[in-house]
Amino acid sequence: MSHHQEPSGAPEVGIELDLNGSPRTMIVDPVQSLASAVRAEGLTGTKLGCETGDCGACAVLVDGVPMASCLLPAVRAGGRRVTTVEGLGTATELSPLQAAFMRHNASQCGYCIPGILVAASPLVDRDELTRDDVVSELTGNLCRCTGYESIVDAVLDAHQQVRSGRTGGAA
Amino acid sequence: MTTTQDTIHETAAQGWVGRGIPQVDIEAKLRGQTEYIGDLRLPNMAHAAIVRSTVAHGRIRGIDTSRAERVPGVLAVATAADAPEVKFGPYTPDWEILARHKVRFIGDEVAAVAAIDEPTARYAASLVEVDVEELPAVFDPFAALAEGGPVIWDEYADNVSTLFTIERGDTRAAFDAADLVVDDVYATSRMYHAYLEPIGVIAHYVDGVHVLHVPSHIPYRARQTYSAALGLPLDKVRLVVPPIGGSFGAKYEMNTPLIAALLSRKAGVPVRILFGRDEDAAYHRPRPPFVFRNRIAVRADGTFLGRETDVVGIAGARTYWSPATVATAVHRPDSLYNFNAMTGRGRLVYTNESPTTAMRGFGNAEALFGIEQMIDEIAERLDIDPVEMRRRNIVQEGETSLHGWYISSSQLPACIERVSEMSGFADRRRARPPATAGERVGKLRGTGIALGHHVSGYRPILPDYDGSSAILRLGPDGSIQLYVGEPDVGQGHVTVMAQLAADELGVAPAEVKVQGIDSAFSPAAVGTLASRAATMAGMATVAAGADARRKLIAFATEQWGVPEAAVSWQAGTLTDTTGANEPFTLRQALHRYGVVNCGLPLLATGVHHPKTVMPDATKYGNASAAYPFAAHVAEVEVDCDTGQISVVGYWAAHDSGTVLNPQTARGQVLGGIAQGLGWALMEDVIMSEGVVRNPNFLDYRIPGAGDMPAGVEVEFVDAYEPNGPRGAKSLGEVALNPVVAAIANAIYNATGLRCKDLPISPERMWRYLHLGEPVESSSAGAIR
Repeated sequence: MSHHQEPSGAPEVGIELDLNGSPRTMIVDPVQSLASAVRAEGLTGTKLGCETGDCGACAVLVDGVPMASCLLPAVRAGGRRVTTVEGLGTATELSPLQAAFMRHNASQCGYCIPGILVAASPLVDRDELTRDDVVSELTGNLCRCTGYESIVDAVLDAHQQVRSGRTGGAA
Repeated sequence: MTTTQDTIHETAAQGWVGRGIPQVDIEAKLRGQTEYIGDLRLPNMAHAAIVRSTVAHGRIRGIDTSRAERVPGVLAVATAADAPEVKFGPYTPDWEILARHKVRFIGDEVAAVAAIDEPTARYAASLVEVDVEELPAVFDPFAALAEGGPVIWDEYADNVSTLFTIERGDTRAAFDAADLVVDDVYATSRMYHAYLEPIGVIAHYVDGVHVLHVPSHIPYRARQTYSAALGLPLDKVRLVVPPIGGSFGAKYEMNTPLIAALLSRKAGVPVRILFGRDEDAAYHRPRPPFVFRNRIAVRADGTFLGRETDVVGIAGARTYWSPATVATAVHRPDSLYNFNAMTGRGRLVYTNESPTTAMRGFGNAEALFGIEQMIDEIAERLDIDPVEMRRRNIVQEGETSLHGWYISSSQLPACIERVSEMSGFADRRRARPPATAGERVGKLRGTGIALGHHVSGYRPILPDYDGSSAILRLGPDGSIQLYVGEPDVGQGHVTVMAQLAADELGVAPAEVKVQGIDSAFSPAAVGTLASRAATMAGMATVAAGADARRKLIAFATEQWGVPEAAVSWQAGTLTDTTGANEPFTLRQALHRYGVVNCGLPLLATGVHHPKTVMPDATKYGNASAAYPFAAHVAEVEVDCDTGQISVVGYWAAHDSGTVLNPQTARGQVLGGIAQGLGWALMEDVIMSEGVVRNPNFLDYRIPGAGDMPAGVEVEFVDAYEPNGPRGAKSLGEVALNPVVAAIANAIYNATGLRCKDLPISPERMWRYLHLGEPVESSSAGAIR
């Protein structure tokens, strides 16, 4: 298996995509994973934990859907909207989900957290969200430190915050 | 948006210790900005691949690197010929940077290649030809102990790496006087630390110094090992510790950093070795498997009279931290329960497998898996309540336990009481476990209790010293840097250090920048192991804070020309009580100090000498600064059709002394429960013929969010430890120690089946339920 892929010397391909809200052209190896490609762009928040799609540390949003970027060829991201952990907040503000993770101290070593934040980020916009929903949606994300409680609490808290914001504060 | 981080900037009137604040370094983690080893790049950095043995045991006849060296892009190839001919290791000198004369396990490091990129390095590594004369191999510890089998190290012809024996009191008399003797065999499994960040290192040989960027939790000890291996004085090896993506005992890598060091010196550029999960999981150094034969002698009233324990542990092919885990497995339970007399033997056995090492719980959790179940069995046979049985036999506060360990604080009785109340243990527990197969149908619930304890540092780790030291650097610009030598492995003790220092200096924790570890400027600490960091570095931090205050008061005294008694310090402000001078804020004082001293920062130091005693030749002596305690209750549901076991309820009561930060403390307990749950029910490194058969996260499954019970209740009882910072003691490992036993006791309560081997997987449970009872551990025949 090839890991931490570096460009291998095969003919390269240019792809255009929306990366964290900005148009970007990336030159990638045809076999390079999206995880490797965004990391080569300096977006090292996307972590490699297994490179077999089993741990979720590399999750990115592709057109708003969480995907294991270690399994997705970068060329498949051409013409699509890709969001990494670096694209969740702004320079000055954390996203509501990130802020909730901070309030709940929902991180220990932090290595799995970018993937979990990305995977959970679509959940906060749902109309309804139960604890079981969060647990079920995070099935593909492994964390060895926290025991998940603070993470699930933080996602539910962020959902509440966002929903009360949408309904003018009446949660 | 206001974040919780902002509130940390407010100065707390009541102080910061005891407040639940998020980790001070959490924002970078949430933004993906934390730079782990895999994110770090040095200019002109090369990438390396390791050539590993494909046979379990063999004599090296020759290594041909010529084809690899001719591959374009290859910068260096290293073999044992590039390393000093010395053997090294933390306990036993049976380590080599690269195998020289023999290979001893599948995965043993034989050669390594550095190249301009990873594919080139891997390709070239595949061209290294290792000519090995294969020898008979041994994978079973009891086969290794038998006479006439393969010998892995000539120096240890019996394949015993370490023998640990201990005797206290008259065990024979205890057994003669006993009304009841229980005698049983329990076995624990090989467990993968399964940190999310795989092993990695960057070595850079520059100006005659090996600079090693290593996410190591024991950097000082690692540096000693590395310098010995390289045949260099300590100052020629510099360790820089990046943020660590989980360790749990694993990340004191023995030879990967050294292989990178050899390559860097040879190639003349920085060299990175970064494992993929496949390599990490196949060749990691796991928790050693243990087999215990335990005998406990009891009086009819439930009082323990004595115990015997015989432990066999697997070292693998080289000796890592496992001698200390065997010693722990043999004698640590004697500071939880008073067994009155004990005889113990531990044998650590070489096999042709990857070396085993420390993992959270460190032999103690393993020992308690058996002992806590045997206590339940004794209680049942004597018709004594299992809670009462424990209460009657625990070591109490103020007592010196069997091996000289002084229990300076223990609120374990309160933990037992609280966990019983929180869980409704008496009501929840099935009065009588199912006794026959006919009763074991459908879904069965059961509840179990177990106790646990641990240490807060352990005197024998480093012969030279046991305590810790800290440096506070207070700059003329008002900045505050704290240097301790114990790395944060994610548990958040950088945060509690900041809280402790903040209270000493009258500032907010966010203003105290706890520095990363670099042997060039950090204190040479024992490290983050044996649950010692918060206690030891915490005490040193408090001492450094006190030193800073003393120096500030002395400076103000001098500046103001008043008697020292006239200078008061309160919440970060120096006041001249004679009223002759305007007060100094901390920032003003530091600026002034810098002006007077031509830019010099105020340097304050703290040294903590714990009241520990190096155990003597009989292993007697107070080995730790403090002892934490816990009582846990688990409720399980066993599906008799599938053998699947779910943990459906969990309650934990802890005595960790003062809780420095309730938020990070709760996180430690939840994380410990998760790891214990995985160990009890799911996780097992499956090996056959020396090969790991499940080296990935699909086949080696660790608990996910759905495996955890909802509504876990955690309580810290009121407690104060006189030998810890602000009354605190350790938490990281005691959080795990009772978990496996509590779950196993709950399974017995549900099914009437006593599970003596780990993990209690669905398949194993199904076999117990449908193919006959687990009367004995599968290892029982071998150790009896």
